[in-house]
Amino acid sequence: MATMIEENGPSTHEHSHASPSSQARQKLEGLLNKNMKIRMTDGRTLVGLFLCTDRDCNVILGSAQEFLKSTDTFSQGEPRVLGLAMIPGHHVVSIEVEADSLEDTHGFGPNH
Amino acid sequence: MVMKSAVDDDDAGWGLGIPEKMRNNANWVDITHEFKGACKELNLGELLHDKLFGLFEAMSAIEMMDPKMDAGMIGNQVNRKVLNFEQAIKEGAIKVKDLSLPELIGIIDTSFCCLITWLEGHSLAQTVFTCLYVHNPDLIEEPALKAFALGILKVCDIAREKVNKAAVFEEEDFQAMTYGFKMANNVSDLRVTGMLKDVEDELQRKVKSTRSRQGEQRNPEMEQEHQQYLALFNRIKFTRLLLTALITFTKKETSSVGEAQKLVVQAADLLSAMNSSIQHGIQSQNDTTKGDHPIMMGFEPLVNQRLLPPTFPRYAKIIKREDMVAYFSKLIERIKTVCDVINTTNLHGILDFFCEFSEQSPCVLSRSLLQTTFLIDNKKVFGTHLMQDMIKDALRYFVSPPVLSYKCCLFNNHQAKDYSDSFVTHCSRPFCSLIQIHGHNRARQRDKLGHILEEFATLQDEAEKVDAALHSLLMKLEPQRQHLACLGTWILYHNLRIMIQYLLSGFELELYSMHEYYYIYWYLSEFLYAWLMSTLSRADSSQMAEERITEEQVKGRSSKKTKKKKKVRPLSKEITMSQAYQNMCAGMYKTMVALDMDGKVRKPQFELDSEQVRYEHRFAPFNSVVTPPPVHYIQFKEMSDLRKYNPPPGSADLYMAASKHFQQAKLILENVPCPDPEVNRILKVAKPNIVVTKLLAGGHKKDTKVLPEFDFSAHKYFPVVKII
Repeated sequence: MATMIEENGPSTHEHSHASPSSQARQKLEGLLNKNMKIRMTDGRTLVGLFLCTDRDCNVILGSAQEFLKSTDTFSQGEPRVLGLAMIPGHHVVSIEVEADSLEDTHGFGPNH
Repeated sequence: MVMKSAVDDDDAGWGLGIPEKMRNNANWVDITHEFKGACKELNLGELLHDKLFGLFEAMSAIEMMDPKMDAGMIGNQVNRKVLNFEQAIKEGAIKVKDLSLPELIGIIDTSFCCLITWLEGHSLAQTVFTCLYVHNPDLIEEPALKAFALGILKVCDIAREKVNKAAVFEEEDFQAMTYGFKMANNVSDLRVTGMLKDVEDELQRKVKSTRSRQGEQRNPEMEQEHQQYLALFNRIKFTRLLLTALITFTKKETSSVGEAQKLVVQAADLLSAMNSSIQHGIQSQNDTTKGDHPIMMGFEPLVNQRLLPPTFPRYAKIIKREDMVAYFSKLIERIKTVCDVINTTNLHGILDFFCEFSEQSPCVLSRSLLQTTFLIDNKKVFGTHLMQDMIKDALRYFVSPPVLSYKCCLFNNHQAKDYSDSFVTHCSRPFCSLIQIHGHNRARQRDKLGHILEEFATLQDEAEKVDAALHSLLMKLEPQRQHLACLGTWILYHNLRIMIQYLLSGFELELYSMHEYYYIYWYLSEFLYAWLMSTLSRADSSQMAEERITEEQVKGRSSKKTKKKKKVRPLSKEITMSQAYQNMCAGMYKTMVALDMDGKVRKPQFELDSEQVRYEHRFAPFNSVVTPPPVHYIQFKEMSDLRKYNPPPGSADLYMAASKHFQQAKLILENVPCPDPEVNRILKVAKPNIVVTKLLAGGHKKDTKVLPEFDFSAHKYFPVVKII
């Protein structure tokens, strides 16, 4: 697991489960390629595969689809296909994942 | 794979109210807090990602909430509901019947502006389809508006079809996407023009009934109503004429082009009346306090925002109504010009027509109409002539090759016929491509001209072989005749024309730096124009030889003496013009060398490249041509070396020589019998340059450090040299 981080930044090679940073990494890695639903500050919701994140919580979703805000009762309709999209961390309001995808991921979700 | 579980829950799920469903869906678990917390544990600059996903892939993601990349945020930030047509009707935000005359006039004018903006290269979704009425004309109850909406859809549809068929556009010219909109395909063209005509007749009655009568007391409201009816009448009639003209262009007969021309002339007659009645239409409610688009009834600029592709958003600025009529009148002028092409029957004439037309940088619609008028679906020129016959005629006109002469034994010789026919057939495609290239926009033309040289090099090779074969055949049959370099001369002529155009267009497109001018002009004057003139004179003598033989045959049969009258040689004008061009280029070349000697040409610091690299890049497409062989940089340096003269000329000598070249060009051009605009344009450059180079030769401002300026405003290819 640590190998994939190597190229982008310093990483702690010892897999001590006590270290909070390596635990956090494991949590996040468990979510990779899972469906994720992100609500943005302007009310739009994006649904796509979680591909990448960093310390500022900038998130990249793959095959993303855009849904308009739920209060706007008129413009709801087909989602718009966006493809690869990056949501800046400061525009992320909420993040949701599908419950089944949490089964193999420790440390997330209501059962925690 | 995306949202699979939710789809399983409810098959009809992705229609209305998705976010509602998503919120209620128990499958989704909120992890915001944990996620953000986990992210904070990452190091600065560290990316957490999958093996298959790296920084490189991350670069191509669009950034949400960035106005330059996120087309979706614009629609989301306005403080009003974006309604589609049906919703707008339900909400009462839009009228479908009992529209007032000013409303109709305003809607029609705005639609025209949208149409023009589309023709200028924007997407349909952001232009014509911002008008809600065209989304579904069936819902419109007002007959005038319904007919107009259908009319404008048909205009778009036919224009799109023409542009697609002609295939002379690139993404910067035209957006052919229709985003799945219906282009009134369920109604026939005839039905739409019929509806427009009905509305027009009805309006004409209204115009007549509101007209002032003698001795009648006229109140201003009556007069205004009359004016408004008239304004609407003109607009509906204009739409009908424009549509009918476009429909006429789709017909196969040549006569239809003349018919189309008549229709656009009629449409042009309405334009001034349309221009003076623009103020009758309602204007958009400009509520700019919220930073919003101006809103016009029936239009919603954001209605299609979600249809736009996930690329960076492009903003379509709809042209102003005041500019609408001017655009239409220019468009009609161009269409009228296009119709004239059918009066040109010679292939060379047609090629010149395409070149001249392209020089005005015409719009994509007129360019496409010209293409589709030239080569109709049946692959015949103007729908009547075979391209092969056109090529044969062009050959007869240019070099009079014996093989195509009725008086020559080769004409009925099977083998000779096979040779020439197969050659002419092979010519057909490259010449069609050449004509198509002239339909592209100016910048793309240059690129494509560079590529087509390869095809012409192949033709050149074949032409020379066929010439040789025909010559040996002819020597056996008619030893007194020759068939040397006939077809080859013709292909060479076109080769040279393409090469010259390729180089010259670099000036028009402002590709060359000042320090490059000298070798471009050198290549043109010393090489290409020299070759062109010798090619033209060879063609001319070939013509004369053929004429002499014909004359002798005529004389031999009848003792009557044929009148010897001095005929104007067909190629004489072109030879004269080439001489003038050559002198202009030579003058520019010598001026540039002299300016360089005086330190008045700024040169780059050749650190990573060299003049050789630039030179080779400039003439790279010529490497595929065998005749004339490309001049390599080393050869150029040797040929243009001034030290081979004794004594080597100084800058004053070169200025003087340049002045003589410009003088020579002026003399040649002033003796052209009926000067065309091109002659006058060159004269406008030659005259001041004679004076400037003379002054420079006399040492005028020799010590000034200010660099000279080159003013290309009088002519695209030759600048007026200005010393400040």
